[in-house]
Amino acid sequence: MLHFGLILFIIIFFGYNLKRITILQIVVIIQIKDLVKIYRKGEIEISAVDHLSFSVKKGTFLSIVGRSGSGKSTLLNLVGGLDTPTSGSIVFDGKDISGLSRSELAFHRRYRVGMIFQSFNLIYSRNALDNVILAMIFSGISKKDRKERAIRLLKQVGLGDRIFHRPDELSGGETQRVAIARALANDPEVILADEPTGNLDSLTAAEIMDLLIELNQKLGKTVLMITHEQQMAQKISHRVIRLLDGKVVDDIMTDKINEIE
Amino acid sequence: MRLNDLILLGFSNLWNTKLRTILTTLGVVIGIGALSSMVSFGTGMEKNITETFKENELFTSLHVTPGKIDLEGLSEGDISGLIGSVGSSRTILDDSVLKKIRRIEEVEIAYPEFTFEAKIRLFDKEQEISAAGIPFEMKHYPPFNRIRFGSFFEHDSSAVVLVRWETLKRMKILVEDPEDPVRLNFQEEDQNYIILPPDSILGKPIYLKTAVMDYSSMMLNPMQLLGGNPRLPVSEKTSVFIIGGIFKRESQFSNTQVKGDVILPFRTAKKIPKLGITNIWDAIGSGSDQDGYGSIYVRVKNVENMDGVIKELKEEMGLNVFAIADQLKEIKQGFLILDGILGAIGTIALIVAGLGIVNTMVMSILERTREIGIMKAIGGSEKQIMWIFFVEAGTIGFLGAIFGLILGWLVTVLANQVANTKFLPAGDPAVNFFYFPVWLILGAVAFSIIVSLTAGLYPAIRAAGIDPVKALRHD
Repeated sequence: MLHFGLILFIIIFFGYNLKRITILQIVVIIQIKDLVKIYRKGEIEISAVDHLSFSVKKGTFLSIVGRSGSGKSTLLNLVGGLDTPTSGSIVFDGKDISGLSRSELAFHRRYRVGMIFQSFNLIYSRNALDNVILAMIFSGISKKDRKERAIRLLKQVGLGDRIFHRPDELSGGETQRVAIARALANDPEVILADEPTGNLDSLTAAEIMDLLIELNQKLGKTVLMITHEQQMAQKISHRVIRLLDGKVVDDIMTDKINEIE
Repeated sequence: MRLNDLILLGFSNLWNTKLRTILTTLGVVIGIGALSSMVSFGTGMEKNITETFKENELFTSLHVTPGKIDLEGLSEGDISGLIGSVGSSRTILDDSVLKKIRRIEEVEIAYPEFTFEAKIRLFDKEQEISAAGIPFEMKHYPPFNRIRFGSFFEHDSSAVVLVRWETLKRMKILVEDPEDPVRLNFQEEDQNYIILPPDSILGKPIYLKTAVMDYSSMMLNPMQLLGGNPRLPVSEKTSVFIIGGIFKRESQFSNTQVKGDVILPFRTAKKIPKLGITNIWDAIGSGSDQDGYGSIYVRVKNVENMDGVIKELKEEMGLNVFAIADQLKEIKQGFLILDGILGAIGTIALIVAGLGIVNTMVMSILERTREIGIMKAIGGSEKQIMWIFFVEAGTIGFLGAIFGLILGWLVTVLANQVANTKFLPAGDPAVNFFYFPVWLILGAVAFSIIVSLTAGLYPAIRAAGIDPVKALRHD
């Protein structure tokens, strides 16, 4: 009887856990564990990211705040696969990306994440359309399909009539819209935005922010956004993480957290 | 990423930096221009000679001489023995041998080569020439079928002779050709040429002076040879013929050894009194085979039959055989060296252009560091970025090759024009000194692309290895 009970317990326990693990895999898109990134500057070692651990549920709009030098950008670059951690792991959609080869990281950047930068980082010699198309050239989408998709994405971000303008002929807000369209080109699950409104006036910044919220709510993209504006972050995000010296010092779930399914 | 996308991307990148692309490509253009024009000179010369050989059917021509004496195997002491044995050991080239050669299936034509030295006189001008007796049936074979004015003689005993245009030129007589005007080069302009229409030469008498053994003087006064007034027992004999035809002008590549300056009907030539000695074999063997021919010219039907015929003539008939085509091998070897030297000079120019590509690409990468960072951030792999730069380098090479070949071709056209109008000896038909065979065109393109890709290798690897985080911070 005791044996039977034990076996039953084991089945139930592991069954429950198995279910939980499955749920975790579906719900958690990014799981960061003991993440360390040390930069070496001559003799001095700087821990940009210091034993960081947290996980992000799918569909979250996560804002990361903190003073400059707190390791925000480093964290984003590590999640985006632009940089590799010194130690620790980043499990992205069930797969650890900390030990990937450089070509696997390129694949990660191409299909899994879309990056948006403060300084836009468009190629200035190419027009809006070509900038969006370039991301799809790397993923090998056919000429016709990628053009159609790029036009659709540019319309979606509100730039339908300016697709043949080069970045220097566009305003800051318009340029960032192109960058957002480009980030969506290969339909990634996660958008990584590094102070996307840092170079914009407040009115334009609000428009860009609305666009990012739209991506999160309508398209269900998980958004990791670095920002200086704490109040705005509190207002629009599901969750706000504050970093200091590469460590999480504050992790707040806002009222909006319940909106995530 | 597909190749055509890469090429498109490379093109548009080059287009965005037009001036630099043009200047870099210009380096390659000059390199390929130099290389192709120089090599085309070598190939052009070779082609002219090969074509002359073909035109005159020299690839299928053989000279057969009597006997089969291994001169190389003889030691000094054997010389006396050789002279003693010559008369008996070597095969005499008589009519029976000729018939035998003609009976060989693969032989198209065989005729005795009958040449002797003479002097001709025409319009009070004298010239030493070599005369050749040719059978009538040679009318249809090159080079004898190339009569420009007049016509071939009717039979082997005719009193009509044929002269070469070049022979007349040596006598300072230029025969006008309404279809192909004669132009003097800058060195010849001062000389006193008489320019005559062909009609004023055709049908005119030509005097042929030959040296004959003067037996009478020897018999009557043998002591003259030893006395105070030594004189060779030789006198001059003059025969008169009619000029029936003038051969076509030949380029300087034409080989002259198959024909004389003046062509006589075979029997007529034989009947002309003259000293029988025209070569060393005649001198050695004159005692025993005065009726034999000096040599026989043999033309084989196909080049493939050459070896078989040579073997038959040598081993079964015991004759000495000399294939003119063997000369071509030596000539070609010479041209190979010429091509090599010319090609090396062109290659140096191309390598300099290659260094220009390296420089441009490295500069371009420095300027485009941020762009490379962006491409990496949006998913460009190292391999893809390497390919983009590789294609850019290759495109410079390809465009450079195309325009370089055009430049090279223009240069050769110009050089050819100058060479033909200013430097070619009077009467030489226009010659193409340059030739662009397909292998040269394709080879130049391939070589240019290879050099460019090699030049692009280091920049491309360097571009691919750029750290995206640093690159995105780069201004």
